[in-house]
Amino acid sequence: MFESLNDPVDVLTAFLEGGFEPLRFRWKGKVVRIRKVTGRWSRREGQAVLRYFAVEGGNDDTYELCYDPRGPRWILSRAWNGVA
Amino acid sequence: MILLIDMDAFFASVEQAHHPHLRGRPVIVCGDPGRRGVVTAASYEARPSGVHAGMPLQEARRLCPEAEYVEGNPEKYVGISLQLLDLYLRHSPDVEPFSVDEAFVGLFGPRVTFESAIEVARTIQSEVAERFGLGASIGIAPNKLIAKMAAGSRKPRGLTPMDPPAFRDTFWPLDIQELWGVGPQLATRMRSLGISTVGELARAPDPVLSAAFGIIGPQLKQAANGEDDAPLIPYHQGVDAKSMGHEVTLSEDCADAGFLDGTLLRLSDQVARRLRGEGYVGRVVAIKLRTHRFATTIRQRALDDFTDDHLRIYEVARALLAANWKGESLRLIGVSVSSLARRGEAVQSDLFERRTRDLALRAALDRVRDRLGEASLVPAGSLRHQRSLGHVPFGAMSSAHRVKSRLSTADSDPPTTPCPKTPLGF
Repeated sequence: MFESLNDPVDVLTAFLEGGFEPLRFRWKGKVVRIRKVTGRWSRREGQAVLRYFAVEGGNDDTYELCYDPRGPRWILSRAWNGVA
Repeated sequence: MILLIDMDAFFASVEQAHHPHLRGRPVIVCGDPGRRGVVTAASYEARPSGVHAGMPLQEARRLCPEAEYVEGNPEKYVGISLQLLDLYLRHSPDVEPFSVDEAFVGLFGPRVTFESAIEVARTIQSEVAERFGLGASIGIAPNKLIAKMAAGSRKPRGLTPMDPPAFRDTFWPLDIQELWGVGPQLATRMRSLGISTVGELARAPDPVLSAAFGIIGPQLKQAANGEDDAPLIPYHQGVDAKSMGHEVTLSEDCADAGFLDGTLLRLSDQVARRLRGEGYVGRVVAIKLRTHRFATTIRQRALDDFTDDHLRIYEVARALLAANWKGESLRLIGVSVSSLARRGEAVQSDLFERRTRDLALRAALDRVRDRLGEASLVPAGSLRHQRSLGHVPFGAMSSAHRVKSRLSTADSDPPTTPCPKTPLGF
């Protein structure tokens, strides 16, 4: 099932062609390599525009990461923990 | 020529696209799956079980226990919807959003034919699939009505061109309720007149329809004939809102007057904030109450003047609640304001009489929320139902927690550094 987390995480980020996307992040002591970015969206919170990425890890695990420019910081907002 | 692009099971499909393990499985998008609520959307895999949008979650769990229940994320769907509109705009400047998952696209000009419109529709379909991993059904027709009904006639991933003769062949034999704009109550009244199919409505005498349904009678007959002259209004031209409202399904049935009062205050505040944000004032306040037996009551009261003040809206909403609530447990409560006018165009004696200090205060509060987000300031009275704030639309509560945390630790926070001192270890 999905777990709502809102955990701050360290994210290795690539800045490409005026945009950016997460490559890997560390969570619970493990490094998760991002195999694919499956979705992107953004939302406004006051003046800040938060960028969201739905990503796929290596073992059918999926996550939603949020880049909050006010930190700046990355937040792991949601994870699929593999239990149906 | 007009296209109606209708995203297939939009919310559920977005979750399936973003989370591959959900693909091919029944997915039900809802509020917090741990709480009571209703189904917001069901994937095509869940529909054979009988699950549909609006059904109570409890019933959905009984019909489809194996489904994955996913908490919906309205902002995500709005964000994707805006990206889809950008995609459509690459094919035509005439794009009219019809809902979060539907849009009309106009293809006008002497060279536009059914064949060229089909080609554009096919390109849009494949771009939507490639870029977003989503399915869309598209109706292609000379007017909005036929385009809308054609899109709905073949799903998912349908592509349906339809001219008026094809419209008649397809829809005339169908039940009257299949006609766009005819709901269950109207359909019942029509059946009582002996009109059971779209075709029967198309051939019904005008005087009979006018006598039974007034001005909309002949309009419905035109629709049954596939006639529609409604213009496409590109969204950059904008249309004025007719009403603004917010409603909430409570996490559990509630007969606690204090809790309901706090909820009304929060909803009034949200409505007032939207009115001010979009430059409107309104003069009719309504409340919506739905009991645990699903009996819905809507009551409204007109004000003497226009307003965008949450306390004024709240006072009326509160009076309406007091007059119409008999103490029965409620599962849903809502507040809306209608009879809107643009601020400045409306006669607003109350606004002119407001003390300058009040106006300045309200403007200052709005500026704080514009800058820090909706949950940075909320009416204290609304905190009586703090649990429900977890579901303030657009995730405002999570923001509240972050802001609160930042404020409370501001003095002790270490200075931020652009680079961490320890390696990330990637």
